Amino acid sequence: MEKKLEHIFLTEFEQHQNIVHKICSLYTHDRASHHDLFQEVSIQLWKAFPKFRGDSKFSTWMYRVALNTAITQYRKNKKRTDTYDIENVLFKTQAYEAYDPKEEQQLSLMYAAIKELNDIDKALIFLYLEDKNYEEISMTLGISEVNARVKMNRIKKKLKKIIHP
Amino acid sequence: MKELDKFKEDWKSREGNYPKLDKDALYQLILKRSSSIVKWLFYISIAEFVFWTSISVLTHDNKTDQLIEQMHLSIFIKVLSVINYAVLIYFITLFYRNYKRVTFTASSKELIERILKVKRTVTQYVWFNLFILGISLLAGFFGLIHYGPESEKIFNMAAENGNSIGFWVLITVICLLFIGVILFFLWGFYRILYGILLKKLKNNHRELQRLEH
Repeated sequence: MEKKLEHIFLTEFEQHQNIVHKICSLYTHDRASHHDLFQEVSIQLWKAFPKFRGDSKFSTWMYRVALNTAITQYRKNKKRTDTYDIENVLFKTQAYEAYDPKEEQQLSLMYAAIKELNDIDKALIFLYLEDKNYEEISMTLGISEVNARVKMNRIKKKLKKIIHP
Repeated sequence: MKELDKFKEDWKSREGNYPKLDKDALYQLILKRSSSIVKWLFYISIAEFVFWTSISVLTHDNKTDQLIEQMHLSIFIKVLSVINYAVLIYFITLFYRNYKRVTFTASSKELIERILKVKRTVTQYVWFNLFILGISLLAGFFGLIHYGPESEKIFNMAAENGNSIGFWVLITVICLLFIGVILFFLWGFYRILYGILLKKLKNNHRELQRLEH
């Protein structure tokens, strides 16, 4: 029974692991802490899996557990932004048909600005980037839909200010 | 916001750039031990329960029994022990119930509140123990002065002094100060311990609460 559960879990997890990697890339500043957070999320997902009833999609459930782990995980607050993922994981701009250094710089700036946000703001922006609607955002964070909207507008303004000081 | 939309587009185009772990690698990960804040809180709390219980057990031997008898505090100590153990059972039950209710599938706000509740239970238990410790010390001082080996000397000193009220006030102040210092250090210790551990959690909780007002 346990083996079967394990197999189902690992299959789903393998398929949707990107969600966790994306959260780790936003909530950590270097490779080692990315790995630590990824590991902790994996443990929490596996621990919570027996209670996963399938009344929501596996990925939806995963967003919640992974974000909750990132928000509650104890870690030393390192403010320094390591550029590892900017170089290695993100901004592979070769994919762009028309390479535009200015645009690349703006993306880079936006990424840095998002990483500077506090945990909760970051969670909102992350869910927005992942195309989640306000209903889902409000359910995940435990705030009302109206407040989620208000907050999102504020964060957008905040980001704008950082990018265009 | 144009820049954010552009970023979102880019964000989506990067799906293929993340590391890809196979089932075996993922399996190795779930075998590891959790280092979540809940786990830490759990360990600290267990240590807390063990520490305070062992204090009352370890300080209990024949010699202290005799001393307690001599100081006419036997009944007082017995009542205190019964209260102590009843409260310990109450707190362990409460702690375990709160701990079990922490689930990572709840909303973030709910989850943080439940974690803080677990911590609150332990803090209350610690304060209860400090209170009992304070009372015991006070009773101990009282017993020592009234029935201790030096008690006659102390009373004579008070009589010779002329100002016996002043003398007793001074003794009381010294006792209270002594107890105060011990409590203050323990309080400081807990402030630092939980301060470090829960700083981030509390900030996030404040942020979520601020959103709702």
